[in-house]
This record gives sequence, structure tokens and C-alpha cells, in this order.
Amino acid sequence: MNFKDLLIPISVSCLFLFILVTQPLFGQSDRNGERRLGSSYVITNTTLIPSPGEILQNQHILFEEGIITAVGKDIPLPAEAQEINGDSLFVYAGFIDMANKTGVVEPTLPEKPEGFDPSKPMPEIAGIHPHFNVTEYYQQSNPHDKAWRKLGFTLAQKLPLGKGMLPGTSALVIYGQEGKNNLIAEHQSIYFKFSTVGGVYPNTNLGVMATWRDLIQNARLYKKHQEMYAANRNISRLEKKPVLEALIPVINGDMPVLLEISDELDIRRALKMKDENQFRLILTGINEGDKLIPLLKEKEVGAVLTLNLPEDPSSEIPSGEKSEDFENRMDRTREAYKQSLALAGKYEVAGIPFALTTKHLPRGDFFKNLQLMVENGLSKEGALAALTVNAAKLLGIDDRTGTISEGKMANLLIMTDTLFTEGATIQMVVSDGYVFDYSEKPGKVSKGETTWEYEAETQGGKSTGTWKINQSEGKWTGTITYEDPQGQGMKTSSIEDAVITEEKMQFSFTVSVGSDKLDVEVSGNLSGRKFTGDMKIIGYGTFPVKAVKKDKPEKSNG
Amino acid sequence: MVRKILVSIIILTLFIGASQAQEIEKGDVFIQNANVITITDGVKENTDVWVKDGIIHQIGNQLQVPRDVPVIDASGKFLMPGIIDAHSHVALGAINEASSPITAEVKMEDVIDPFDIGIYRALAGGTTISHAMHGSANAIGGQNITLKHRYGTFNPGELVMEEAPRTIKFALGENPTRVHGRGKNLQPRSRMGVEAVIRNGFEEALQYKETWEAWNKVKDQKNNRQVPPTFNSRLETLLDILDGEIIIHCHSYRADEIYMLIQVCQDYGIDKIVFSHVNEGFKVAPELAKYTMGASVFSDWWAYKFEVYYSTAYNAAILTKNGVITSINSDSAELIRHLYHEAAKTQRYGGLSDEEALALITINPARQLGIDQWVGSIEEGKQADLVLFDKHPLSIYAIPQMTWVDGIKYFDREEDKTDQRLKVDPEETLEPMFLHADHINCMSDVDFYFTGFGRNLFEHNH
Repeated sequence: MNFKDLLIPISVSCLFLFILVTQPLFGQSDRNGERRLGSSYVITNTTLIPSPGEILQNQHILFEEGIITAVGKDIPLPAEAQEINGDSLFVYAGFIDMANKTGVVEPTLPEKPEGFDPSKPMPEIAGIHPHFNVTEYYQQSNPHDKAWRKLGFTLAQKLPLGKGMLPGTSALVIYGQEGKNNLIAEHQSIYFKFSTVGGVYPNTNLGVMATWRDLIQNARLYKKHQEMYAANRNISRLEKKPVLEALIPVINGDMPVLLEISDELDIRRALKMKDENQFRLILTGINEGDKLIPLLKEKEVGAVLTLNLPEDPSSEIPSGEKSEDFENRMDRTREAYKQSLALAGKYEVAGIPFALTTKHLPRGDFFKNLQLMVENGLSKEGALAALTVNAAKLLGIDDRTGTISEGKMANLLIMTDTLFTEGATIQMVVSDGYVFDYSEKPGKVSKGETTWEYEAETQGGKSTGTWKINQSEGKWTGTITYEDPQGQGMKTSSIEDAVITEEKMQFSFTVSVGSDKLDVEVSGNLSGRKFTGDMKIIGYGTFPVKAVKKDKPEKSNG
Repeated sequence: MVRKILVSIIILTLFIGASQAQEIEKGDVFIQNANVITITDGVKENTDVWVKDGIIHQIGNQLQVPRDVPVIDASGKFLMPGIIDAHSHVALGAINEASSPITAEVKMEDVIDPFDIGIYRALAGGTTISHAMHGSANAIGGQNITLKHRYGTFNPGELVMEEAPRTIKFALGENPTRVHGRGKNLQPRSRMGVEAVIRNGFEEALQYKETWEAWNKVKDQKNNRQVPPTFNSRLETLLDILDGEIIIHCHSYRADEIYMLIQVCQDYGIDKIVFSHVNEGFKVAPELAKYTMGASVFSDWWAYKFEVYYSTAYNAAILTKNGVITSINSDSAELIRHLYHEAAKTQRYGGLSDEEALALITINPARQLGIDQWVGSIEEGKQADLVLFDKHPLSIYAIPQMTWVDGIKYFDREEDKTDQRLKVDPEETLEPMFLHADHINCMSDVDFYFTGFGRNLFEHNH
């Protein structure tokens, strides 16, 4: 579990698996950054967005050993640098996720002892373990981070898990090459949330607030004792208290508190905590509370908004006759929904350089929700800044990443068009200088290809074969294999006029028998992975056909 | 460094309460020609009340109408001071920190919920101030907060009545013994245990005080060999009670336990104590009159558990006649809307005068909360928390028409909308309607963890 120690056997076996399973599927694409011929790359003639709002044409970006070494129109291009033709591509800084927990497992807490007194639990049982380090519980090799990387994320702040108020310290990891140690920083912030383990003290926000106050006071006294003991051994030794020790960087102002909130009353509580015991505060999970924006600005509180936007309430209106009251309430709900979508834009207008978190966000909603924020008042530059430079600043790593310039980490997002253009796709993601190629080359097996095995009952008995169906540029194409009517093995024809919906599929193809041509039409219904329908051989008759979708497309010979 | 620690501790104490101090909105209004029930100075017919900047500026006949001040024609109507509820759990996000028999360190101020529609409903019943209390799960519960019903603010701090002194919840009898004793096998398991928990708490606080005094004496000396003690806000709070800075509001029912706590307070020199519920208060009325700041009772609630069988609807009247400062409280988001009915019951059961009956929900609770110099009666110089009734408030037909807090009108029956929520859930299509809503009460947030047995045995409210 400790990825600081690099679990070589696991990494190697994973690598092996991926070569076995993934590699053949994607032709030249290199989704896992494994086939690295060297560490020096140059993206040529590309459109570069070095920071939000800036756009430069015909740029070359050279990166070596994970560092951007040169950017510009006229930079020397070393011969050994592998070229990525950036013509028609758009290069952004890689995204940064705040307050992320994917790949993190929950620590095992000590058992409650015999005769346990829930009013005086040991801190760990009460969910108070700020001394826990997320890196001890982070599984670097997890599928979620890879999937997020595919959406453009190159770096994340990992949160420790735990049911209580102080689960531990966060760390920064890069979504780079597997098998490498991708830790960027640890003990990076103290994670606090308004929650409790249940059944022990503290059990509600009442106890959480009181416990925090006492912890801070006692951390100060502990520090005092520490200093006294350092200066004078003639006093009783300092009994080690990991919980208090972990809070000393907070009272010293060296470490921020990353405080997760779930509503605006939590924000009020957090501000109260800051007022009482000055410390650096970053709020994460912000989902409401526009009235608090000026206060957060005044108090210089870091802000991380959640990308997990509410569901559109209009999508679930019950049927039947509605009263006027119902309509009025519905209007207020819609207004509240709109307000949620507009929150990010309001933060931008107020001049708060906020970041975003994907915590609790289904991956499929990422671009959709970002788009919703943009449609409701957030500028495109603001959205990009939230995912890059603002996050880097909040994390104190803006000297290393978040923008594209010489000396920064090679964390890049390479797109086919600008970020918010419809149809723009992610071509490649560069993370820590490793290139992850998500492009779909023409002629190669595409992501959307499905393979079906069919069985038709014809006059001549059973006929079997496969259909391979692709979607490219909104058009369905593909091939069908069948037993040669002349007994010459399997033949292949191309699928024509295919129409596929969620429920129906139809297409036609042509079979050559000697100099004759038979036109065949297939049509039927889809249900999950199953197809049932008819195969009509024009002029000969109609025969039932069944097909089943296969899990993985086969390797393409192309 | 030592100074730093001291300063930080001082800052901690200072900031609490002060941190969210806000500029509270104050209003002007001229209420003309009302029957003014002053509470402390009889009923004044055809009288005008001029409110200026949130304060009752002038009371009199045929006052000159000031310029640019809204005038309310109150002819034939009854104006009384805003009703004060000395025991409530409205506008709180959590009620019980039931995880320890003593939780003096927790503060209801930390969990105020300004969006609670209950605040508006209370205003619609003429209640302008409520004492938002910790629940009754613990022998010594949390620190309560006195709220002014300034409904409409999104800032919990703006509901706080800044002038109000600190108060704390204590609880005797079945609730703390059930939660901790039977539920978790901790002390207190019996009424004797409750007393022991409270006395031990005070003793521990006194020892804590000595430890800190010893430390403070030597910490700056050269060759000091003592090390800093541990800070404990629970014991700090108990010391503040011993120092008379905090008024105890104690959940209690039986005469023996009431008298027990009076004795404990006598032993520790505590005179700021109010008993809540006090169903058997009528048995110890002279003692309550002599040693306490009074009793806050229900008009006629009892028999919801064993310890409240010996009760009477005459309780408030008997206590009043014995010179106990008596109030009637709601302890309920529903009852808080018609405390004037509850007060009126004392005329049926005990024959209290109008003035005595209305004192139960105005000046008397104000005295019990230590806020009677600002609110609780209609007097020049007091804060303009007022309610206008169409009929005499002790009439069963009376309906509150308008309610003001600090001269700002927060309720007007004419302008009452169907939907008075401040905040709406963006994902909600239609809020579910419940025919029976669980009332927030004294035992809210007491989890299964803390009860030890089924809720069916636990469905009483107070």
C-alpha cells in the first residue's frame, strides 16, 4: 500500500497485463505511456494556450526528462527528440484536481477495547488522526486515476480517508508513469471535515467544534513544552502526542487546513474557526452560499468549488395536474438550481481565484458540468484557470505546473480543438513528461468498434460469422464475415447503409457468388448485448438471425 | 511565548460570540391607538408606541406622528411585548452531543440554522425570542444560545441576542440515566449518579483551576521546572458556572432531584439556576422561590414517561402564587406558535390574572434568561420586540397580526406567503409532505448508540 516503497512486483505484473491486454487493442495509440523511445519530445507547429486567455500559433514545445525545456516559434529542435506533429492540435496545461480521493483506502482503526468508554475514546477511534499520511493508504496503481488522466488530469491532491473530523494529511501525486514514484509532496495540508465516526465523542458538529478548539489550544501548549524541553532537559519529558504534533504546522501557519464543507452553514463554521484561531484555510466542496463570497475574499480563504452539480430538477417533475403552489415551488427550485450553476461565475466576477474538485463527481459528468458552469456565467478562461493555474497556486506549486513555460513540468493536455468546442477530443495527455496517446488513428480499431457473432438459419443450414461495426464521424461502417457459398472458406463484405439506434439495428451487404451478386438486408431489434431479427436475401427469402455482442473487439490486421 | 499562549487563550474566549458580531438591522415604526399591554405597567388604552432605531422611544396618548416613519393603525387591537420562549430547540442543526455525561464545552451557537422555517412560524405566533437549548441527554449538557427571531438573515450570527448572558443546560433524572447508564453502562445510572457526575465535574474543575494557577505563577520564573498543563474547555466552562458567569437551565421533573440540585448549587455558591419542566415544582415551590431564578414549565404536559406522572395543570399558578419567577415554555416547534394559549390555561387552572398569565411568557422568561433589562415588557428604552393581536392575547380567538423584532416587522399576516422558506434545495421537485413530523425535542440526535435499546421505549419527547 505504501507507494513510497514502490511495490515492484505489483507494478511489473500490472505492466505485463497491460501489454498483454491493452496493447494489441489500440494499434499505435499508447494509452499507458509505456512505449517510450526516449524522454525527449517536441510538439511542433501547434496552437499553444500557455495560460488561460493567452493563445499562440505555430509554437514548438520541447520537453525532456519531464521538464519543458523550450517553448517558441524558433527553438532548436534536437535530432533525438521525438516529434509529435502538433499541427491542428491545441496544447493546454494539464488539469489539476483538488481534494481527490480515488485510489485511497481507508485506514484500519484500532479495535475498541473491552469496557470501552465512548465518552473518552482514543483519538484514532474518534476519527481524529491528523498524523495519518495519505501516502500510506494510496494505491498508485488504480484504474480511476488513469481514467481521470484520460480526461486531462495530470496531478491531484490526494485526501486521506476516515470517518471522523481529522483523517490526516493530504499529498500531491502526478498521474505519470506507472512503476515510478509519483509523489510530488506529502504533508501538504491538514484535512478537516464536519463529520464524526458515530457512537463516540465527538458525535455531532457540536462536539467537533469544541474538540477543534481544545486541540488547537493544546497543540500550542504542546509546542511550548517542546520548546522548553529543547532548552532545558531538567524538566519532565514531553510525552509524544502525534495528534498535537501534527497540528503544530497549522498553528505555525506552515500548513493550510483543507476544510471540506457540504453547505453554507459549514462555511460559516469554518470562518468562525479561522477567526478564533488564525490559520491558513482552504475550503473545498463549495456548492452554495453566494452571499459569503465577499467575506471569503476579505478573509483570503482559498476556495475549491465542487464540480458535482445538482441534478436538473426539471427532469423529474411528477405527472398530473399541478396546483399554483406546486408551480411556485417548482420555480423556486429551478431558481435554486440555476443559482448552483451560476456560483462558479460569481466567484470569478468577485475575483476569487478558485479551483475545482471532482470529489463525488461521476467521471462522465466532468465536461458536461464544466460546460454548465460556462453556460451560466463562468468564462472559458476562468474554467481553464480553475483547473490549472488557480489550483497550482492554491497548492503552492505554481512554480512547477499549472501553466506552460520553460522550466515547468511537462504536464500537458493536447486537444483536437479548443477546450469548449463541440466535438473537441483529447488527443494526448502528457504527464510528468510521459506521453499518453488517446488518439484514434483512421483505419485502426476505434474505440467505438463493436464485434458481433451471428448465427443465421438458412435453407442450407446454420450460417455463422461476425459483424464488426464502427462509428466514425457520425457514420456507421463495418464488415461482415460469412461462409463462402462456394465453399472457399470465410469471406468478408463491407456493411452498407447501417442504421443503429438503441433499440434497432439494420444494414445491408452484398455477397458475390461467381459473377452474380446477392443483396442481403439484415434488420432487427437490439436488447442489451443481443440482437434478434431477420436476414433477407433479396429474391430468395427471409431467414431468422441472432447475434451477440462480444466483450472486446478483436485485433485489427490493419 | 508564554505571553503568546496566554494571549491566544484570551483571544479564544473573546472571539467566541464576538467573532460573528454583525451590524443588526434596526427599524422605526409608529403604532397608533393600540391597547398596550405593557406587562410591567398595566394596560394602556388608545395609546401610541413610537419605535425609533429598534428601541421603544415613546409611549403615550395622541403622540405627534413622526415624519417618515411607517404608521400602523392599531385601533381596537392589542399590542404586547414579543413572546419569549425560555426552552426551545428551534433553529438548531444539532441538539444533543449525547456522547458524554458532561459536555459543557459544546455551544449551540455553533449549530444555529437561520433557514429553519420554525423561526418564521414562531414569529407568526408572536414569539420573538427563543432560548435555543442543548438537549437533555447529559447531566451537564452544552451552552445554550438566546436567539432573536430575525428571520431572513443567512448569517446564523445575526440571530444571536448579543446582550444575553451565557446559559448552560443541565439535565436530571431519566434522560441522562437512560442514555449513559442503561445505554452505555457509564455513570450516571441513577439519580444518585447524576448528582455525583455534577459534583465530580465541579471538583475536577476546581482542581483544574489550581493546576493552572500554579502554572501561571511559575511559568515566567527562571529555573521553572513545571510543564504546561492541558487546556480543557469543558472544565473551563464549569469554572465559569462556579464564577457565576453562566445561568444553569436544568431539565428536571421530580421534587427530590430539584431539591438535590438546589443543595448542590448551595454547596458550590451557585445562585444562577432556573429549573425547566419542573413538573413536581409545586411540591418545592418555596425552595424554588428562595434559592433559584425560577421555574419554566409546561402548561399541561405530563405522563409521557414514569417520572412525569405526578403532575398538575395548576403547577404554573401554584409556583406563581408562591413567588417563584415562573415561565411557560414550548420545548416544541409547534407549541412555540401559540404560547399565549398556554399562558391562558393558567386562568382556567389556577385563576391567574391577565398580568400574571402574560408575565409567564414575557417578562418572567426574560428574567430567567437574564435579558429583562432589554426585553419582556413595553417600556421606553427597551428593545422594540412587539406583537400586535386582533383580540386580547389571552382570548382563544386571538390571532397575531404583526410581529416586530428591534422595530423591524418580520411577520405580517396580510403579507404572509404560502412559501416562506429562505432557502430551497436545487434538486428538489416537491418537498415531501408529512402528516406527522418528528418534532425536534430534548432528545434529538441521541443515537441508537446512546440509548442501548429500542426506540419504541423511547418515544417520549422531553
